[in-house]
Amino acid sequence: MTRWLLRGLYATLAVMVIGTLGFAILQPIKVLPRIGLGPGIVLVDQDGGSLTSDTLRGKIVLYSFGYSRCEAPCRGAQTVLQEVQRQLKAEGMAVPVQLVTISFDTVHDGPPVLRTMAAAAGADPALWAFATGEANRLKYAIGGGFEVYYGPNDADGFDYDPAMMLVDGWGILRAEYRTPTPKLETVLRDVRLLMEEAENSEGVARYAYEAAHLFLCYP
Amino acid sequence: MNNHTELHIHPIERIWIIISFAMIGVFAIAVLTAGFAYGFQLPVPEDRVVDPNLVATPGATAFGEPGLRELSPGNMEARILAQTWSFSPKEITVPVGTKVTFFVTTKDVQHGFHLEGSNINFMVLPGQISKLSTTFNTPGTYNFYCHEYCGVGHQTMYGQVIVTP
Repeated sequence: MTRWLLRGLYATLAVMVIGTLGFAILQPIKVLPRIGLGPGIVLVDQDGGSLTSDTLRGKIVLYSFGYSRCEAPCRGAQTVLQEVQRQLKAEGMAVPVQLVTISFDTVHDGPPVLRTMAAAAGADPALWAFATGEANRLKYAIGGGFEVYYGPNDADGFDYDPAMMLVDGWGILRAEYRTPTPKLETVLRDVRLLMEEAENSEGVARYAYEAAHLFLCYP
Repeated sequence: MNNHTELHIHPIERIWIIISFAMIGVFAIAVLTAGFAYGFQLPVPEDRVVDPNLVATPGATAFGEPGLRELSPGNMEARILAQTWSFSPKEITVPVGTKVTFFVTTKDVQHGFHLEGSNINFMVLPGQISKLSTTFNTPGTYNFYCHEYCGVGHQTMYGQVIVTP
């Protein structure tokens, strides 16, 4: 009797260990890492409306940065965002996605300039907002929160480390693209992963998603 | 049943066998925990990879002009370029209470970076950017130095963080 009990115990243990290793190695669910809590952001969009990190809760937000007179360093992100917008519109969105381009030129880029930027980029107002904010708050949000450097340079413009940030519906930073040439496939893959997670991680499936975090099932 | 008794293992030896196997178990658990639960992994993320041949060229990477930059009030990043046998910059000055994120890479061989009195202690490998943050809460002078032997001038490879009140 005791022997059978012991065998049962060993079998259960073996199943648990193999199951755990299998999940960790095969990675049936992929998630994006939770890098940290995204910063609180207060912005004014191209129509003069308020756009804050709170009103953006529940949406997957892809932040990018730039300013109206910005040339080369902002082009890479803009090209990718145009394509992200096109593909998301084409395939439909199960979970709302918002693209936000923040201008850190708070003096020059008021709503009228932001509207011009949006028109030049071909931004769909339902999907892609251009916004700016109060200089000090922006510095804390972008510099302190996202840790993206920008600062005025001698040429009356800005020095800036090109970057895009992907924040999920809970306001958690999930991906950073710190490069002047972000890869479209990577950005789209990450947005789709977040959409899948928001759609599927309910009820019991939520624990599977938590396990995926625990075992670092990252793409 | 009596087969067991024929193989005599001295009790002390038995204890050592158990201890040595337990150690293997503990190490295996430690490695798995570090890898899976805490995410220590190689290779480094895409944005922390750099071409060591281009790293010192101004404009090519952020290390072209190494030094301090302010992200926001009280939050700075320090880019430090290591080479045989010096760090540039050799000295940085920050006000007390500042959080500083150190990004360190090398343009030649492998170096080390240790900042006294802080949690900052890492290898500096060509092609990779090492990154750690610390907050300087006490004014004073903190030395940093290379702690991986990197050649005949290794002992001259050091610098200072000066924290002003």
